[in-house]
Amino acid sequence: MYITINNKKIFASTGGKIFDKKQPVALFIHGSGLDHSFWGLHSRFFAFRGYSVLCIDLPGHTHSEGPPLSSIEEMGVWINDVIQEIDASKVSVIGHSQGCLVSMEYVSKFPKLVKSLSLIASGYETPVNSFLLEAAKNKPKAAIDKMMSWGFGRAGHFHQGTIPGNSMIAGGYKITEGNVPNALYADLNACNNYKEGKKAASKITVPCQLIMGGQDQMAPRKATMALAETLPSSSKIEIIQKSGHMVPLENPNKCRDLLKTFIFANNPTS
Amino acid sequence: MSDFFSFDTLSLHAGQTLDPEFGSRAQPIHQTTSYVFSDTDTASSLFNLERGGHVYNRISNPTVGVLEQRVAALEGGSAAVCVASGMSAIFCALTAIVSQGDHIVASANMYGGNISLLKNTLPRFGITSTFVDPTDIDAIEAAIQNNTKIVFGELIGNPGLSVMDIEAVAKICKKHHLPLMIDGTFNTPYLCRCFDYGANIIVHSLTKWMGGHGTSIGGVVVDGGNFDWGASKKYPTLTEEYAPFSGINFWEEFGPSAFATRIRAEAMRDIGPSMSPMNAFLLLQGIETLSLRMDRHLLNTKQLLEYLDNHDQVSWVNHPDMPGHDSHGIAKKYMPKGAGSIITFGVKGGREAGKAFIENVKLASHLANVGDAKTLIIHPATTTHSRIDAEALVAAGITEDMIRISVGIEDVGDITQDFNIGFRAAKKYI
Repeated sequence: MYITINNKKIFASTGGKIFDKKQPVALFIHGSGLDHSFWGLHSRFFAFRGYSVLCIDLPGHTHSEGPPLSSIEEMGVWINDVIQEIDASKVSVIGHSQGCLVSMEYVSKFPKLVKSLSLIASGYETPVNSFLLEAAKNKPKAAIDKMMSWGFGRAGHFHQGTIPGNSMIAGGYKITEGNVPNALYADLNACNNYKEGKKAASKITVPCQLIMGGQDQMAPRKATMALAETLPSSSKIEIIQKSGHMVPLENPNKCRDLLKTFIFANNPTS
Repeated sequence: MSDFFSFDTLSLHAGQTLDPEFGSRAQPIHQTTSYVFSDTDTASSLFNLERGGHVYNRISNPTVGVLEQRVAALEGGSAAVCVASGMSAIFCALTAIVSQGDHIVASANMYGGNISLLKNTLPRFGITSTFVDPTDIDAIEAAIQNNTKIVFGELIGNPGLSVMDIEAVAKICKKHHLPLMIDGTFNTPYLCRCFDYGANIIVHSLTKWMGGHGTSIGGVVVDGGNFDWGASKKYPTLTEEYAPFSGINFWEEFGPSAFATRIRAEAMRDIGPSMSPMNAFLLLQGIETLSLRMDRHLLNTKQLLEYLDNHDQVSWVNHPDMPGHDSHGIAKKYMPKGAGSIITFGVKGGREAGKAFIENVKLASHLANVGDAKTLIIHPATTTHSRIDAEALVAAGITEDMIRISVGIEDVGDITQDFNIGFRAAKKYI
């Protein structure tokens, strides 16, 4: 569906169900250069179990009007604008990678409607390799090559995927290719410049879970464990060993089961 | 060092997850009709496309799935769907987006079965086609109508062997917001990856060089994941609600694999041209040696071209790698390793001489197939293209004296020795 935020047309997939603001909302926020379709193996599951799902395309990504937002702080405020526009009252936020930074910014500043926060594959900061940042601006193909190569574990590199016939790495590549150079560079630059993550994480009070990929090269264990130590002590820390950075694609069934247990408990449908 | 595995490595490994229970190194053949669900929630979520996995063999199968991911990897596509034959691949791909009242722009120089599908079968369902010279870019653009939904051709036309300038055609398609579908059977991704030049959908008869051993019929549709189906209202099958799956919108939900997902959700379920797991296994075995075989096919083709070109009983020889061929420059651009291993030639003495040649060669097999490891030979006008009319024969570049050779990987000296016997028998008709 399309909504209008700050006079810009914004797209969000709803998992195949009509959005109903009376239901609890599952808001999915994608990572750098990606879009709503990253969540394809999760959105329909929640949509058909009583949740109103919103997998947004951040401004300037795939179906959403640009320009892309330039800072994580700005994106956090923008998410609040989305929540206000859809008039939701019980929100579960799920972020991946850059989406985690955006989620933490939003939830730390606007916690009122948030019932749960799920963070997948992130530290509280995401310093970006200078080669990658430069390539995103001037040599997008080289940047995508590196992101996909580092982002996916062994199964991705062998073009496997849980959906029969689908190559998850090629799918990720095609999405990112559609978001260059503007959105990809803006995203990576915003991640690189974001220094408020530790502060934001320490202010989070809502129930929180952190899901990590055991073979993640983009958000390595040291960084994710540092975030884990900053989040509320009650937070659920989960590691999916057979996964790289793209956890929701690489091990969707395990990831969905963890999300399901956590969200069903903290933001029930009735 | 490259960020990704090379073509040869992917030919051997892509798509396969090692069997966790027994450690089988070869891909196991999952010869089953159906799959046990762990619980009712999992069952319903599989049926509703909420999770990946297998429900019933008509829709998908683990062995077939490995083949699909391997071909997608080799072509650089986002997803692939394997089907029972190359013809069913074309049918499933076209009908995923064309409906009654729609129109197709198609190459006139294609396999006779392709032409027949477009000319005889699809019109019964209100789908029409305009056939054009695939090397005439202006003619392709001129044939586009308001109701045109797709442009379709072979990179190397069968059996005329003209080569389509895909990049130029893709540019026209982009201008008119139409997907370009290429039948890549004759080139295989080893010789040309058509997505790199702007194609949006690739179909193959896997029966041919991909499988390469003449054991199994199979086809595949590869989704390039590079076409914006939502940029116009031309493709409602992908961008509007699909009632059988609770109003799913394939484009919104599946993005770069929307086209492949629609084929699996509709054509595989409602029509059911599924590939058998055994065939998938045999085709996978073939793909493991694709590059090795193709290199030998090309080497033998080069030597056989020299042999035929210098033979005094040969009136003409046709192959895009020959310097005088109309498509020579285009072929070099798209297929620098070589433009495949099909040769057509004319035997002096016409139809009767051709008949004598075919009936007297012993090593080359007289049959209706191409792309086998063994050398194959046929007379197209009376066999593969016999069901199309005289006008279409001319458009396809087929003459009465044409003999088509699918050059195998035998010792080339043995092939030429065999041909010498054929030519001796044909000599009396000159």
